[in-house]
Amino acid sequence: MYGWIWRHLPGSVALRIVEAFVLVVAVVALLMFVVFPWVEPMLPFNDVSVR
Amino acid sequence: MSTSDEDPETTQVPATGPESSAAGAADRPPAPPRPRGGRARTAVRGFGELLITLGLVLLLFVAYELYVTNWKSGNLQREASAQLDEEWRSAPQGERQLHVDPADGEAFARMYIPTFGADWSFTVQEGVGPDALEVGPGHYKDTAMPGQPGNVGIAGHRVGKGAPFNDLDLLNSCDPVVIETGDSFYVYRVLPMQNEAGGWADGKGTQQRCNNVAPLQDKQDAYDETFGRRIVLPQRGDAVSPVPYKARNPLPKASQAALLTLTTCHPQFSDAERMIIHGVLTNQYKKAEGTGYDDLLAAIGEA
Repeated sequence: MYGWIWRHLPGSVALRIVEAFVLVVAVVALLMFVVFPWVEPMLPFNDVSVR
Repeated sequence: MSTSDEDPETTQVPATGPESSAAGAADRPPAPPRPRGGRARTAVRGFGELLITLGLVLLLFVAYELYVTNWKSGNLQREASAQLDEEWRSAPQGERQLHVDPADGEAFARMYIPTFGADWSFTVQEGVGPDALEVGPGHYKDTAMPGQPGNVGIAGHRVGKGAPFNDLDLLNSCDPVVIETGDSFYVYRVLPMQNEAGGWADGKGTQQRCNNVAPLQDKQDAYDETFGRRIVLPQRGDAVSPVPYKARNPLPKASQAALLTLTTCHPQFSDAERMIIHGVLTNQYKKAEGTGYDDLLAAIGEA
């Protein structure tokens, strides 16, 4: 998977390192700001009130 | 997957000269000849990489819960706090009555727990939904307002989201919890713990700071389950009833004690149970122009 992505990044090695870094940052941002806030309410902790 | 990997190399050979192919080779060493069963190898490696990725995502989620949510809630809390200050400043002193019905999610009071440090303060929002609790502690709708007889119920996060109630387990009997509204400071103090209630009058009850704090059950049998700290199941909604743990209210409003009940998750990092802290109203100060929380701390001997 990672090997496949690396082979398909265009440009020289230096450029590809930069591209890989940008990809990692994009994925982390997607997780932090979209996926985790969406998943969080469904998980069984952080429920602090009594019903 | 394997065929597309080989594509660039096979097309490069006729198109480029010897030098550039040498440069290309330095850049990108030719893949070693694939042994038989390469497809299975690729699948196993892909599966392994997937597992590593999932592990990293889980670690990221922990970082999100512990740090990113704090950062987001910190911003929301700052906004709510500034807005509440503005609201109190703009209303003339005489008209700073507590809204009878604050809007959902609206900050209407501020709470202080001096035990957690003089700078510990959070606005209290109306409601205990996720949006209100992301800003700070939330007031159970339909429970009493600060200062009234009955029970002021407030819930707060213990982990992440600003974690206002992170240290709730460290509160001892007689520790103050201060609620500030537009026109008053209300000082509640944590009730005696179950193991202290017996010898209270001759024991801890003699301390200066325990003035007006006494086991409630001494006066009213209805409060037989109300102690400073309790751990209950999440279904005990009656923890915030006017008389705690009595779903069917046994006392008329006039003879109810003025209580404060804080709820958070327990044990930490789990929501299997709830930690409940009960306090009783001991003092009440009308806000005077030019005096603030620091003066109040001095007045109640917690400075």
